[in-house]
Amino acid sequence: MATYDLTPRIAPNLDRHLVFPLLEFLQERQLYPDEQILKAKIELLNNTNMVDYAMDIHKSLYHTDDVPQDMVDRRVEVVARLKALEDAAAPLVTFLQNPSAVQELRADKQYNLQMLKDRYQIGPDQIEALYQYAKFQFECGNYSGAADYLYQYRALCTNSERSLSALWGKLAAEILMQNWDIALEELNCLKEIIDSKSFSSPLNQVQSRIWLMHWSLFIFFNHDNGRTQIIDLFNQDKYLNAIQTSAPHLLRYLATAFIVNKRRRPQFKEFIKVIQQDQCSYKDPITEFLACVYVNYEFDGAQKKMKECEEVILNDPFLGKRVEEGNFSTVPLKDEFLENARLFIFETYCRIHQRIDMKVLFEKLNLNYEEGERWIVNLIRNSKLDAKIDTEMGTVIMEPNQPNVYEQLIDHAKALQGRTYKLVGQLLEHAQAQPAR
Amino acid sequence: MASKFWTQGGSDTEEEETDIEDEIENGGAGEATAAAAGSRYLQANASDSDDSDGQKRVVRSAKDKRFEEMASTVDQMKNAMKINDWVSLQESFDKINKQLEKVMRVTESDRVPNLYIKCLVMLEDFLAEALANKEAKKKMSSSNHKALNAMKQKLKKNNKQYEELINKSRENPESEEEKFEEEEEEEDEDESGSELEDPSQIPESSDEDDEGEELDDDAGDGAWEKKLSKKEKLMDREFKKDPSEITWDTVNKKFKEVMAARGRKGTGKFEQVEQLTFLTKVAKTPAQKLEILFSVISAQFDVNPGLSGHMPINVWKKCVQNMLVILDILVQYPNIVVDDMVEPDENETQKGADHDGTIRVWGNLVAFLERIDNEFFKSLQCIDPHTREYVERLRDEPLFLVVAQNVQEYLERIGDLKSAAKVALRRVELVYYKPQEVYDAMRKLAELSGDGEKDGDETKVEEARGPSSFVVTPEVVSRKPTFPDNSRALMDILVTLIYKSGDERTKARAMLCDIYHHALFDEFSIARDLLLMSHLQDNIQHMDVSTQILFNRAMAQVGLCAFRVGLIAEGHGCLSELYSGGRVKELLAQGVSQNRYHEKTPEQERLERRRQMPYHMHINLELLEAVHLISAMLLEVPNMAANSLDVKRKVISKTFRRLLELSERQTFTGPPENVRDHVMAATRALCKGDFQKAFDVINSLDVWKLLRNRESVLEMLKAKIKEEALRTYLFTYCSSYDTVSLDQLTKMFDLSDAQVHSMVSKMLVNEELHASWDQPTRCIVFHDVEYSRLQALAFQLTEKLSILAESNERAVEARIGGGGLDLPLRRRDNQEYAPGTGGGGRWPDLSYNQGRQGGSGRTAYSSGGRPMALGQASRDRSSGQSRGTGGYSGRSGSGMRGSQMDASARMVSLNRGVRG
Repeated sequence: MATYDLTPRIAPNLDRHLVFPLLEFLQERQLYPDEQILKAKIELLNNTNMVDYAMDIHKSLYHTDDVPQDMVDRRVEVVARLKALEDAAAPLVTFLQNPSAVQELRADKQYNLQMLKDRYQIGPDQIEALYQYAKFQFECGNYSGAADYLYQYRALCTNSERSLSALWGKLAAEILMQNWDIALEELNCLKEIIDSKSFSSPLNQVQSRIWLMHWSLFIFFNHDNGRTQIIDLFNQDKYLNAIQTSAPHLLRYLATAFIVNKRRRPQFKEFIKVIQQDQCSYKDPITEFLACVYVNYEFDGAQKKMKECEEVILNDPFLGKRVEEGNFSTVPLKDEFLENARLFIFETYCRIHQRIDMKVLFEKLNLNYEEGERWIVNLIRNSKLDAKIDTEMGTVIMEPNQPNVYEQLIDHAKALQGRTYKLVGQLLEHAQAQPAR
Repeated sequence: MASKFWTQGGSDTEEEETDIEDEIENGGAGEATAAAAGSRYLQANASDSDDSDGQKRVVRSAKDKRFEEMASTVDQMKNAMKINDWVSLQESFDKINKQLEKVMRVTESDRVPNLYIKCLVMLEDFLAEALANKEAKKKMSSSNHKALNAMKQKLKKNNKQYEELINKSRENPESEEEKFEEEEEEEDEDESGSELEDPSQIPESSDEDDEGEELDDDAGDGAWEKKLSKKEKLMDREFKKDPSEITWDTVNKKFKEVMAARGRKGTGKFEQVEQLTFLTKVAKTPAQKLEILFSVISAQFDVNPGLSGHMPINVWKKCVQNMLVILDILVQYPNIVVDDMVEPDENETQKGADHDGTIRVWGNLVAFLERIDNEFFKSLQCIDPHTREYVERLRDEPLFLVVAQNVQEYLERIGDLKSAAKVALRRVELVYYKPQEVYDAMRKLAELSGDGEKDGDETKVEEARGPSSFVVTPEVVSRKPTFPDNSRALMDILVTLIYKSGDERTKARAMLCDIYHHALFDEFSIARDLLLMSHLQDNIQHMDVSTQILFNRAMAQVGLCAFRVGLIAEGHGCLSELYSGGRVKELLAQGVSQNRYHEKTPEQERLERRRQMPYHMHINLELLEAVHLISAMLLEVPNMAANSLDVKRKVISKTFRRLLELSERQTFTGPPENVRDHVMAATRALCKGDFQKAFDVINSLDVWKLLRNRESVLEMLKAKIKEEALRTYLFTYCSSYDTVSLDQLTKMFDLSDAQVHSMVSKMLVNEELHASWDQPTRCIVFHDVEYSRLQALAFQLTEKLSILAESNERAVEARIGGGGLDLPLRRRDNQEYAPGTGGGGRWPDLSYNQGRQGGSGRTAYSSGGRPMALGQASRDRSSGQSRGTGGYSGRSGSGMRGSQMDASARMVSLNRGVRG
C-alpha cells in the first residue's frame, strides 16, 4: 500500500520538524519497516538540536546504550550555544517578561525601538539575538517558547526579509503545538505577504506558494472549518497553477476536499477539467475516481476506485486522522468521503437513467439491499432525489426532469433586466461626468 | 563590431545589387536593351566598393561589347583609309573617341586600351603619309581636304595625351597586342578559377605573368594584384631563404599591406586567402598568428560571391579547419583574449608566447561561427536535395558540430555564458528536428568520419605548417564531436544552458526547438506545457520571421504529436490555424505557394527563397494535411450530424466544410487519388455510419508509412472512427427511434459494452442527446422534447433580446471608451479575440507581419469555441517549473477560466432552447 504514499513527495516541501508527525504516522501504520523509519528520524534530527531525542532513537534502533561520539559532542556544542544565545538575548527577554514594561510598547515600531534604546539600552543587536535565540529554541523542540519570542520579534523587527522568516517560524511552531486557530491566522497573514510581495523572481513566489500549501495541509485537515478553506486557498488560480506546475500530488487533497464538500459545485466543474488535464502528470485513486465518474462515466471503474480510495485515505497522514471515541478509533473523513462518493456516483447515474435496477445499483455503491433501500428512501424524503421506488420490479424510476419551459424562458429573460439597468446606470454616469468636464 | 558587420549582410545596398545582377542575367546579355540596362547599372556599380565575381562576369561582357564596337570602328577607319576618305575617317575618329570614353568607364581603369593606341598610331602614320603626298592632296575634293585638315589638328591635339603610350607602341607593336590579349586571357583564367572553386590554379596563373612586370610601371592600379603577388613571391623566396631574418615587424607590415587591399577593386580573393595563409606560417607570435588567422577567415568569407549564393564547399571546410586552429591557439595560450569591443593596441600581438599579461586580439568567435553555420545552411538551401551532392554536404554537419562544441566549451571556460548560449542555440538548431534514428546515424557518422578524417587532417596540417611555420600549434581541442546516447540528453544540456544565460531571442528559439523536439518524441503534455508556460503564442507576432517560421514548425509538430497520441481535438486546434489561409508551404517555409490574387514582387520572392528550410528539415506536407483533415473529419462529422437542422450552428473547421461542399458538388466521384479525396471519401462513409469503409479508405493512404509507431496510431484511429461513427449515427437517427438497445449498438460498431455505455453517457450528460438509459432492459430511451409553436417563438424572442442587449452594451462600451467596468468579462474577452481571428480569416497581404496577425487568434489554441480546449489554453501557468524558465514571467489569467466557463454554460442552455 506504500504505492500511494506521498510522504517522499511532500517532505521536501516541509520544515524538518514538520516531517516528524508524518513519520510518526507512518510508523503507526506500519507501511514501512520500523528500522527504516527510525533511521529516517535520526537523519532528520541530525541537523536539528534535539540531540537527546536523537540519542533515544538511536538506542532503540540499535538496541544499545552506547551513543556515538559525535552525538555527544554535538550535545555539548548545542548546550554551549544555547547558553551563549540566552545571554545575548537576556536583556530583551527580561524586558518582555515584565508585563508593565511591555505595556509601554505602542503600535509605532520606530517609537518602540527608540524607547527601548533610550530606556533599556536594548539595541538592534539584542533584537537580532532574540531572533537567533527563538530560532534555536525552535531547533531544540521548544516550540511554545519559539512562538512567543518570534511573535515579539516581529513586533520589533524592521527588516521585512527577517520578519517573513520569523512568520514562517511562527507558523511552524503553532502547527507543531497544534494551535490550529492561531496557525490559521498566521497562515492567512503569510499568504497575504506572499501574494502581495513583489518577489525577486516568479520562481521564488511559486516556491513560496508551494510551501505554504504543504504547510497548510496540517491546519486544514485539523481545523473544523478547514475543508472549505482548503478549497478557497488551493482553488485560486495562482495556487492551482502552482500545483499543476510543481506539485500535482496536492491535487489529492483538493479532490478530497471537493468530494467531502457538497456546496462547491460551480468550482467543482472547473476542477474536473483540471483533473482531466493533469491525468498524465499525476494520478491516484481519488483523482481517478473523479475521472471515472465525471469524465469517462465508467461506473464500474468508479466503484473499484472507491475501494482503493478507502485505503489511500487510511494511509494518508492528513486524511487519515483518527478520532478516539471511547474504545473506537474512527477516521471521520473516511466515512464522510465514502458517503459523498457514493452520492456522486448515484447522482450522475440518476441523471442519465430513467429506470434503475436497485440490485445493480447497490452493487455499484457497495451497499446491501436493505441498507440501500433505506438510503434511497431517505434521499427521496429529503427531496434530494426526484424518483419513486417500484418494489414489484425492484427498480427506481426517475421522474423525467425536463426543465419547465416557462422557467427556462424566465431564466433567459431575467438577466436582461439587470443588464439593461447596468447599461442605463453607466450611461447616466457618463452623462454626468461629461458636463463636469 | 564584427557581429554587426556580418549581420548587416542583408543591408539594402547589397540586395539591390544582386537584384540588378539577376535582372541582367535573365535578360540575355546579347540584347541591346539588356546591354543598355547593364551599362546603367554598371555605372552604379562603379561607385560601389563591393566587387563580386558575378558582377565581374557582367562587366566583362559589357567590356567585350565595347571592345567589339571599337574594333569595328577601327575596321571602318581602315576601310576609309584605303579609299582615302577623310570625311568618313573624321566621323569614325569622333566615334572612336566617344567609344573610348565608354570603354574607360566600363573597365574602370584609366589605362587606355591598346586597340585605341594602335589606332592612333595607324592614323598618325596615315596622316603623315597623306600630308607628305602633296599630289594626292591636291586631287582631293574640297570637303575631303577640309576634313583632312581638321583631322590633322584633332589628331595632334588628341595624341598629345597619349604620347608616351604611342611611343611605346611604336617601339614594339607586337608585344603590346599580345599583352592585351594575354591579359584578357588571364582574367578569364582567374574567373574560371573562381568558378571552379579551385584556388590552386591561381598561383599558376599569377606565375605566368612575367610580362606583368612591364605592366606595373605604366598600368598603375589595374595591375595591382599582380604586383602584389609578384612581391609576395619575392618575399616568399626571401623568407624561405632566411627564416631567421624574418621579424615580427616584417610580417606585420606585410599583413597590413595585404589587409589594406581587402575589398579593393581587382583584389583576387583567393589570392588574398593564399597570401594570408602563407603569413600564418611565418607569424612570429601566437597572438600574431591568431590575428592573421582571423583575417584569413574573414577573407574566406569574402570569397562568397553574393548573398544568394553560398560559399564554396572546400573553402567552407578550410574555414572550419582554421577555426579549429584558432581554438587550438586559444586553448594553448590562455592569456590571449579575443575581444571585439576595444580596438587593441597596434603592437599588442608583438608580445610573445611567454608574455605574462593578457594579450588582446580583435575578433569575434561567435560571429564567425554563426557565419559558418549560415553558410552551411545556405549551401543546403541551394543544392538540389535529390542529388548526391546534398547528401555529401549533409555529412559535413558533424564537422560544424565539432567547432561549435569546442567554441562553446571555450566560451564557457572563459565565462562568456551569453555567447556560449548563442553557440549552444546553433547546436540545438542542428539537432532539434532529428528523430532518434537520424540522430543515431549522425552519431555513427561522426564517429566514423572522426577516425577517417584523422589521417587526412594530419597530412593537411603537415602541409599547412610547412618547413617555415614558426608558431607550431598542436591539436589541443578534440576534432571529434561527442554526442550523448540520445538526442534528448543533448537537448537538455544545451537548452538548460540557454535558459540560464541566453538573451530573449535565443531563449525563445531554444524553447521552440525544445517544444518541437518533445513533440517529435510523442511527449505531448510536456510540449504543451512548455508552449503555454512560455507565453510564446502571445508574443510570437512581434518576433522576426525566421522565429515565426520556427514557431509554425513547432506548432505543426505539436499537432502531429497530439494526433499520434490520440488527442484529436488538440491536434486539430494546433493545425487548423496553419491551414486556414491555404498557405501552409509558405508558413512552414517549405516551398512557395502560388496565389492567384496577388503577384509577388521579385523582392518578396527572393526574401522568401532565402528563408526556405533545407529539404532534410521538412515536415512532410502530405502527412500534415492528412492529419489535419482527418482530425477535422472526426470532429466535424458528428458536429454536422448533431446540428444538421440548424444552419448557423458552430462550425469547427471551415476548411473542412469548404472541401466537403466542393466534393459534394461533383456529379461523379471518382476513386480517391490524393489525400484530400481519401478523406472526403472517408467522410462520406462516416456520415452514413459506415466506420469500416471509412477506416479502410484512410488506411489506404500511403503517408502512414512515415510514422514510426504506425500500427498503434492506426489502431487508435480505428477506435476513434468507431466512436465518432457511433456518435454520428445516434445524432442522425435519434429522431427515428424510440429506443435503441445497447447490444445492438455494440454489434453495429464493434465496440465493447463499457465503451458504448461511456460514450452514450457522456452524450447524455452533455445534453447533446435527449435521452436516458433504461437499465433493466439496457436500452436508450429517447425523449421527445416538443415545444409548442408559441414556446419556440418565445425562445427565439428571448434570444434576440439578449443579442440586442449585447449589441447595446457593445455600443455603449465603444462610445464611452471601453470603460465598461461592470460589463461581464466574457464579452470583453471576445472583443479582444475578434481582431485576431478576423485577421486569421483575411490574410490577403503576403507580408509576414500582416499575415501573422492571425497568430493572435491562436492565443487560445483552438479558437473554434470548443470550451474544453479553451479552458486549457487559458489555463495560465506561471513559469515556475524546475526547468528554470526564468525569463518568462508568469502572468495570471485571472478570471479567464471563469468567464469561459460562463460562456460555455450559456451555450448549452441556449442550445436547448433553440432545439425546440
